[in-house]
Amino acid sequence: MATTTKDLNVAVIVKLEPDFSEGNVSYNADGTLNRAETKSILGPHSAIASNAAFYAKVKYGARVAVGTMGPPIAESALQQAQLLCDADELHLYSDRIFAGADTLATAEVLKAGISKVEGGKVDVVFSGHRASDGETGQTGPQTAWKLGYTFLGNVIDYNIDLESRLVRAKRLISLQGFYDIIEEVEAPLPVFISIDPSYNAFFNTVSQRLAFEKYQKEARSRAENYKQFLKVLNTQQLGIDPKLVGLPGSPTIVYKVERIPKAKASRKAEVIDGTNRDQIARVVTNMYEVLEGMVIK
Amino acid sequence: MERYDVAIIGGGSAGLAALKQLSNLNKQAILIEAGKKAGSKNLSGGILYSKKPKHGKTYNVEDVYPEFLQDTPVERRITQYMLHATSRDKVFTMNLTAAHEYQANFGYSVLLNKLNGWFAKQASESAGRQGGGIVSGVHVRSLSWQEEKTVIETDELEPFEAKAVIAADGVNSEVAEMTGARAKFTPEQLYQGVKVIVKLPEGIIEERFGIGPDEGAAHLFAGDITLNHIGGGFLYTNLDTLSVGAVYHYDSLMERPSEPYTLVDALLKNPLVAEFIKDQVAVKEEIDKNMPKEEQLRTRFAVSKLIKTWNELRDSYHSRALRKKLIESGKYKSEDEIKARLDSVQNELATKYDTKFVTDYVELEYGAKLVPDGKRCAMKKPYYKNILFVGDAAGRGVFIGPRIEGLNVGIDDAVRAANAVARAIDRNNFSTQYMGESYSQSIEESLYTRDMKEIDKDYLKIFLDAARDVPKDIIGQRYGMVFRLMSSGTLRGLAVGFANILGYDKLLPLVESQDTYVQVPIEVAEKIGRQFQATYEPTIPTIAQRIARLKYDDDRVSHIKVLNPKSEFMKKMVTLCPTFCYSMEGGNVTLQHEACIECGTCAKETEWRHPRGEKGIIYQYG
Ligand SMILES: Cc1cc2nc3c(=O)[nH]c(=O)nc-3n(C[C@H](O)[C@H](O)[C@H](O)COP(=O)(O)OP(=O)(O)OC[C@H]3O[C@@H](n4cnc5c(N)ncnc54)[C@H](O)[C@@H]3O)c2cc1C
Ligand code: SF4
Repeated sequence: MATTTKDLNVAVIVKLEPDFSEGNVSYNADGTLNRAETKSILGPHSAIASNAAFYAKVKYGARVAVGTMGPPIAESALQQAQLLCDADELHLYSDRIFAGADTLATAEVLKAGISKVEGGKVDVVFSGHRASDGETGQTGPQTAWKLGYTFLGNVIDYNIDLESRLVRAKRLISLQGFYDIIEEVEAPLPVFISIDPSYNAFFNTVSQRLAFEKYQKEARSRAENYKQFLKVLNTQQLGIDPKLVGLPGSPTIVYKVERIPKAKASRKAEVIDGTNRDQIARVVTNMYEVLEGMVIK
Repeated sequence: MERYDVAIIGGGSAGLAALKQLSNLNKQAILIEAGKKAGSKNLSGGILYSKKPKHGKTYNVEDVYPEFLQDTPVERRITQYMLHATSRDKVFTMNLTAAHEYQANFGYSVLLNKLNGWFAKQASESAGRQGGGIVSGVHVRSLSWQEEKTVIETDELEPFEAKAVIAADGVNSEVAEMTGARAKFTPEQLYQGVKVIVKLPEGIIEERFGIGPDEGAAHLFAGDITLNHIGGGFLYTNLDTLSVGAVYHYDSLMERPSEPYTLVDALLKNPLVAEFIKDQVAVKEEIDKNMPKEEQLRTRFAVSKLIKTWNELRDSYHSRALRKKLIESGKYKSEDEIKARLDSVQNELATKYDTKFVTDYVELEYGAKLVPDGKRCAMKKPYYKNILFVGDAAGRGVFIGPRIEGLNVGIDDAVRAANAVARAIDRNNFSTQYMGESYSQSIEESLYTRDMKEIDKDYLKIFLDAARDVPKDIIGQRYGMVFRLMSSGTLRGLAVGFANILGYDKLLPLVESQDTYVQVPIEVAEKIGRQFQATYEPTIPTIAQRIARLKYDDDRVSHIKVLNPKSEFMKKMVTLCPTFCYSMEGGNVTLQHEACIECGTCAKETEWRHPRGEKGIIYQYG
């Protein structure tokens, strides 16, 4: 049967984002996002992070808390995340003074929030790879840094040894110009894991499948009554120094967003039609050269 | 390795009943089902019966699921049961409602995707309380034994152990095959069933079949619609669809192969059936290709959307419950208002977009599956080591005249198997002598086992009474003596007694003959049938169109391997595969597995597996 332990506490940080899927997104005439017309949903990367947390629930019986910073409507992101990961607690960090926060100021709030979960005893924090409306991918690492947690980015798979309190993770990285290299790392808890979009949980024992069904059912009924699980926390309740959050706490501001001009194609294309042996030999030689250039020496 | 007390393989109605019963007895059990969701791979006709036998006991659906009938998604309680003998445009009808009601509490028309989905919900909730449950999307690949325990390997999960196994994996049971518990069924032991779901609004069904909201009709067919095969057709009313199908003896199909869909088509084209299934259908006008591209696109969208609205509104208008819902929601004030809106949509389609409204019928789903004929293939000892076989996997289907029963039989088996397993758990004795034998004995007491072995003279009398109007000369030529014997009460007892001494084996070729299913009905229809004319000719979809409408989760890897591409059997599969998976290429039979609906027709001479978990056919109705 699944190892059930109260010993693992995980937190997920999520974000309410504009729904960029077809038919839901709306733009202003100047090409900027029409936020009023566009529906908001749990960001797709946040959803993947929630799935990763659900894996910890199914596999290790972890307690899961989900947190987000945002205005009151952001609680719908918490509800959607709860449906995915059967969260035991939902935290909304909401305060007028958080407005205008950059990534660093956001990280300050998230750090404070995570410190409030289970008396600060969070073993693993999950976040999405990045937000689809901010695209910086910095909030995660900065929160990890502020928490003093080991940061593991682009994680596609992880397992935890509850005895030795070690996490083993697979990371999808690029190395010396090669994409899709899988690096396996081991780190002691606590860790901060940013989940890669290609993460896909797989449950390969009967007990995990049964637990999966059970928690999924629980998640459905919890998410219907999500308010029972929701705590809203402001600056004071989080015990944050107001100077470190919102606009005052943000060393950066977005000055202007520009469209990136389309880059000129850098690939050389050569048409080889394969009508005779010479042509085919050319293809083989070309492929050989390219492949040789890719070998790590 | 994980350990469980009981593993049930297969989540059709039999396997699910086993899980529910074990949970009712506070025993832990897990059920492994290949389909992504229970119900997605099951197909039936079908009428689900609950029985009250004169002697002995049956375990009925409501014994296993006490909530049954309160909120079960059954379709209609069958209250009329008619048998039609057909010949071209002539039909002779016999009312066999008494046969349907014989020893029955009720019989409901059902669609297995919905029904088994509901069973699964109930069973998994109960099983969860005992630490068990349903694991779907997992395909069992092999079984082996370590000491007394069975090690179960699947395509998806780590191996696990079970003390007892219930094999509920259907007519093409891989468990039976891989353990060698029984040989693969042969064509003499099987029927091939093919069925289509026809859409028809609720109110129209009630009006056409002369039934009330809680009533249903079953119509059975024999005669020329069989295209000279042994078997017949059926049409059952569901809530807002019809199940129309044909079930033929596989042996008879092997003798003179007919494409399975032509057999359904013959039924659909019969004037009586055509009139039963007809509906009003919107046919789009070809879009003028000279219009600007954008305009074409806009028109196409507008027409599709309007037709969808028309269909939905029409379904609601013809449904008591949906009509009420629309009015309660405040969208419409009255029935008349819904009708007015429906007419205006129809008018808009007709005048603005030249949409035609014609008389035709609408098919929603095509499916096929083998059905075991219990008289010929029920396992004598339905166990092997610590495995108990139930339902179709044990070959336990009741086939008597127009009666096809498998759902109720599987449920009865499942309860008996679960009881035997529960007892074995209490004693920690899973041996064949203890567990297998006690199950086997229990099954012997079942009404269904008796039905598979001998003729019930009272049931037979109902048929004879119903056939009173049939001219004696038609019957006389062939069955004169039998008929005379059967017509008198005392002699009937004697005759049946004598017949049962002879045994089913010897009687079956006499009773289940072309005469009974084809010639006699044709003659009866010709001599005393009513003339019947269809008011239109149904546009029957091609097999390609039918396949295109089915839902699959494609598996790249084929689950079937042809062993001898030149064998006579395989050559027949080119005709007998219901989805045209086989073709001839240079003297060899080749397979393209993608359209396979897992019916099992080709299983006998192939290496045949169900697809891996979640893969393959996904029936929406079943
Ligand atoms: C056309 C037609 C008409 C019929 N009409 C009637 C009727 O009117 N009344 C009636 O009572 N009966 C009728 N029957 C018979 C009835 O449908 C069957 O007897 C019944 O559905 C069988 O149930 P089952 O649970 O035994 O098997 P199935 O429903 O076949 O279930 C077997 C399950 O096991 C799963 N499985 C198989 N192998 C594996 C594996 N290796 N690993 C994991 N899972 C596996 C399959 O996915 C499937 O879900 C009809 C059948 C047909 C085809
Ligand atoms: S390939 Fe075999 S199992 Fe599949 S549909 Fe055809 S006959 Fe049936």
